[in-house]
Amino acid sequence: MKKFRISVNGNSYDVEVEELGNGASSAPVAAPVAAPAAPKAAPKKAAPKAAPKKAAKAAPAGGHGIEAPMPGTILSLKVAEGDTVSSGDVLLVLEAMKMENEIASDVDGVVKAININNGDSVDSGEVLVVIA
Amino acid sequence: MAIDKLQDLFDRKAKIQSGGGEKAIEKQHAKGKNTARERMNMLFDESSFVELDMFVKHRGVNFGLDKKEAHADGVVAGYGKINGRLVYAYSQDFTVLGGSLGEMHANKIVKVLDNAMKMGAPVIGINDSGGARIQEAVDALSGYGKIFYKNTLASGVIPQISVIMGPCAGGAVYSPALTDFIFMVDKTSKMFITGPQVIQAVTGEIVSAEELGGGLTHNAKSGVAHYLTNSEEECFSEIRRLIDFLPSNNLEVAPTVPTNDDINRKNIELNDIIPANPNKPYEIKDVIKILADDGDFFEYQEKFAKNIVTGFIRINGKSIGVVANQPKILAGCLDINASDKAAKFVRTCDVFNVPILTLEDVPGFLPGTTQEFGGIIRHGAKLLYAYSEATVPLITVILRKAYGGSYLAMCSKELGADLVLAWPTAEVAVMGAKGAANIIFRRDIGDSENPEETRKQKIAEYEDEFATPYKAAERGFVDDVIEPSTTRARLVDAFDMLSSKTVNHPNKKHGNIPL
Repeated sequence: MKKFRISVNGNSYDVEVEELGNGASSAPVAAPVAAPAAPKAAPKKAAPKAAPKKAAKAAPAGGHGIEAPMPGTILSLKVAEGDTVSSGDVLLVLEAMKMENEIASDVDGVVKAININNGDSVDSGEVLVVIA
Repeated sequence: MAIDKLQDLFDRKAKIQSGGGEKAIEKQHAKGKNTARERMNMLFDESSFVELDMFVKHRGVNFGLDKKEAHADGVVAGYGKINGRLVYAYSQDFTVLGGSLGEMHANKIVKVLDNAMKMGAPVIGINDSGGARIQEAVDALSGYGKIFYKNTLASGVIPQISVIMGPCAGGAVYSPALTDFIFMVDKTSKMFITGPQVIQAVTGEIVSAEELGGGLTHNAKSGVAHYLTNSEEECFSEIRRLIDFLPSNNLEVAPTVPTNDDINRKNIELNDIIPANPNKPYEIKDVIKILADDGDFFEYQEKFAKNIVTGFIRINGKSIGVVANQPKILAGCLDINASDKAAKFVRTCDVFNVPILTLEDVPGFLPGTTQEFGGIIRHGAKLLYAYSEATVPLITVILRKAYGGSYLAMCSKELGADLVLAWPTAEVAVMGAKGAANIIFRRDIGDSENPEETRKQKIAEYEDEFATPYKAAERGFVDDVIEPSTTRARLVDAFDMLSSKTVNHPNKKHGNIPL
């Protein structure tokens, strides 16, 4: 058991850390991630057992996935499911590299699925919105 | 002269100029493509194209090739004028043996390149060929090799432009790849090393020819090509436009194009173009167009690595290469593709004596494993190298962010900028205020009763002190801080001032650019 003092956004936390084997530790982390990452579109293509990243990538099976170009935080969503969008329309704002990046659609279509919420942290390559 | 001798000449020429015959020409047209000679007439000023070497014949004897007639051996070669200036060109004739490349076909191309180099004139190669003429075996291969070698020798001496107007597969792709500019036409151009059938046989992957090597693929994804047009007509008019921005060879400068655009034009809108919130993006191309004569901007690799914008403008009639960060895409970060794109463009400008204007608003290099594993260190180094090596006039305008290593990479004073101007919104610093304050004042913030309050205060403190152009100006890294509305007038004056610039780098065989 090791003790650490961690400061998050200026608040200090005293944390005790215990090293576990490979088995047990990952399960409780993976479960909550997998749930939101596998939207309605996914189930047929990739079994939910698969790594959560893969499931998200497979989502656009019936459409075109708009991916995060870089890691960042979702600042605001500009569209809702069912909205009709054209190529060039702003779908959401991704804050990354100290910039509010407008993420635009590169196709015409209807928003089929939105895989993220305001405030979510996303990795580059993650499918944010599916357009069909 | 006996009339029959003349008639004989006319007959011979007419026969050769009929290419592969009516049927083949019809087929070519049906594909939405023009013939090799039609293309020459579209490329050059009216009636200026002169064909040479039309009587050349192949020497193949195997597999019945000796019985086949190949007019002009499948390639039309010669010279002509583009807006009054001498330009050499060759155009592969798909109607003749599929435009396949054999020994004599290659020799004609090499001759064009030799002449273009001797005369110091640009050369344009129009590619529309099924590939190597297999019947000629190693003679055909040797032909490609000779062309690659000549392309390389001509590189940096004369502008070389490749036009893909049909298939260009296998070894054939490397001649265009060795040249300065590649134009492709949407839907009819294809470039790949191995075609869809081979890929399917070897890896099982199924991919269409268009997806694998179409114009959009190479302009947006691979970065192999530089310009994409919707039709052959548009393609030729774009090439003619490009030629006007370039000199005929590396000893000349690009022609000056007189303009009525006021050299003292003030643009009040530039004072407000940078959003008050430093986290908001804006369209950098608006800035470029405002600075350019008559708003004319000829973009280079428009669809590739859009986080950096490159292209040609004129300022006071003189051709200028622009490299600018695009805050709208990837926050304007430098990444692998952006570095490659900008480095090649900087070298293209430098080698042809086109001065470079750098517009800087860069938050840093794009973080992430994809970038690191992909070799951003090696690729980013190309940009530093290209700028440092450049001897043309170099002006940098810092519009907003200029952080850390990326500040240096975007043609800083240290890398050889002759003049660095900054707008009052410029922030020349090691990093953004937030990150910097969190590191420098970590202790103060940690020990504070009210850390959030202290953090805010420290960030503001840092912003006032360092997120300005004035610290850099104090050291002379920024030559002047200017009112944005006066930028064009300052550039007109500064490029004029720099026109006599000479730099002597140490003698060497050639540098060793990181590749």
